[in-house]
Amino acid sequence: MLNLNNNATNIKRDILTRIARLALEGRLREGVFYIPSDIAPKNAKPFRCCVYRDREILRMRVIASLGISTEDCDENGERPLSDYASEALARESPTQPILTVLHEACNACVRSHYMVTNACQGCFARPCMVNCPRKAITVDRHASIDADKCVNCGLCLQNCPYHAIIKIPVPCEDACPVGAISKDETGKEKIDFDKCIFCGMCMRSCPFGAMIDKSQLVDVIRRVMEKDAQGGEGRRVVAMYAPAIAAQFKASPGQLEAALKAAGFDAVYEVARGADVCAEKEAAEFEERMGRGDKMMTSSCCPAYVRAVRLHVPALKGCVSETKTPMRYTAELAKSDDSRCVTVFIGPCLAKKREGIDDPLVDYVLTIEEAGALFIAKGIDVASFSEEARENVPTKEGRGFARTGGVARAVESRLSGAVECRATAVNGLGKSGMKTLAMFGMMNEGKIPLKADSPNLIEVMACEGGCIGGPLVVTNPKVAGALLDEYVEAGAD
Amino acid sequence: MDKIKVTVCAGTACFVMGASDLMLIKERLPPEVADDVEISGCPCIEECKGSKNGRPPYVRIDGETIHSANIADVVARICEIRAERRTEAARAQS
Repeated sequence: MLNLNNNATNIKRDILTRIARLALEGRLREGVFYIPSDIAPKNAKPFRCCVYRDREILRMRVIASLGISTEDCDENGERPLSDYASEALARESPTQPILTVLHEACNACVRSHYMVTNACQGCFARPCMVNCPRKAITVDRHASIDADKCVNCGLCLQNCPYHAIIKIPVPCEDACPVGAISKDETGKEKIDFDKCIFCGMCMRSCPFGAMIDKSQLVDVIRRVMEKDAQGGEGRRVVAMYAPAIAAQFKASPGQLEAALKAAGFDAVYEVARGADVCAEKEAAEFEERMGRGDKMMTSSCCPAYVRAVRLHVPALKGCVSETKTPMRYTAELAKSDDSRCVTVFIGPCLAKKREGIDDPLVDYVLTIEEAGALFIAKGIDVASFSEEARENVPTKEGRGFARTGGVARAVESRLSGAVECRATAVNGLGKSGMKTLAMFGMMNEGKIPLKADSPNLIEVMACEGGCIGGPLVVTNPKVAGALLDEYVEAGAD
Repeated sequence: MDKIKVTVCAGTACFVMGASDLMLIKERLPPEVADDVEISGCPCIEECKGSKNGRPPYVRIDGETIHSANIADVVARICEIRAERRTEAARAQS
């Protein structure tokens, strides 16, 4: 996986900031045309072959940042960006799928394979050749691999004492835990959305930044501006921020609330309040399920995990808690305060964008990259606000949902003690995480025997470390972890 | 030798553009250099307010501002400054 902050993420955030600025000034249609050439001016050193190719890819990034799939783009590039801006400003709700592959940016990486480098000494022992199960290696002063025979097992790489054999991966395919990405006839990558769980691993692994989430930032800014133009008559726009978001800035919750209001939101809800509701209900559900003899129950707050079970681990279907997510309960709170309000969830998560589209109570989902772009465009420095007086402070456990282990802990803290709870957490749905799920599925079906100490409460986080390690965070999870500690500590008992 | 003071701007614009990685820069310094460096975060230094000042994230190394800062550049500059200081100190002694 790439470092969290790199050229690809920086360019994306830069584009989002420029779009936010133009939208706020009411000149998105006129200004959007100039974004690619502003970022890649004529005399700049190109990233790729030439500045014109750079600009074409930037144009695609702008289209995605306007919330439009680049797969549907006109192939000849005849449709001006202003047209896409009009489309974005006119739409009533965000569109699926939430992820798009920039065909032009995709490197069409060579299929994953093993290669012998010049470090090969053509040694006498020849462990690569001897250990190859398919006799795919021959040595003539230098080892070489017959691609037709090679099955990519990697034994040659493991056995070479000179580290002369390397693996050249396809990063996105390697990162995808469910095999949803493959090449099309031109060698470019394509996502099978019937398999994709929206974990975001491909997006954060692609060194060319070819996978990108479609933004709803323009939609949210439009809603805020409409409301401001209509005075008291318009629909209020409210922000609901996930616990992980409180750990993205060096600021207190009161300051974040003030900053979001300065950005145009009428009210701000901590999703940790919804997490409190969620933990309460999940604890009751756990006791009920164990009472009726269920073998195990898993958490349901991570939408990538819930989708993974639905599409790939049917054996676990009956075990996923039916309790709704913290986002849903927070939206219920917001809509009960004002049924007409426009609800905007702000989180670190890609899969939440899909959950938001599926949930009628959630109107929009922004990532912290997008909210951050809005802050920059408005010149807002979160830490410069004085703290707002706050009521309805969520509990420490509710705020702790953002980290692996936190959900199970919150549920445990609300149990009555009537049934024994043996909690565990699946920390990240990489390929090994998916195997763990399959194992729990087999336990549930009785194919693997249960032991006395087998867990019965299973928290699953698709991202390693939990939501603070989400695919769309801006803050290094190590730093965010320390900031989350402060946030949790300031929660109610 | 006085410690080299490195201040990482922790304002919103800098954080959104990746300043948090720079807060961990001590881990990336060679151990002998790390001892001579003091790293801290600070509230927004307002460099982002002027369009002539380059782009966030901003880092100050003993008063000198680096824009579009990344780990590699900041580490390199710290090592440079330290080497200069040590040569100066050695010269002053002789």
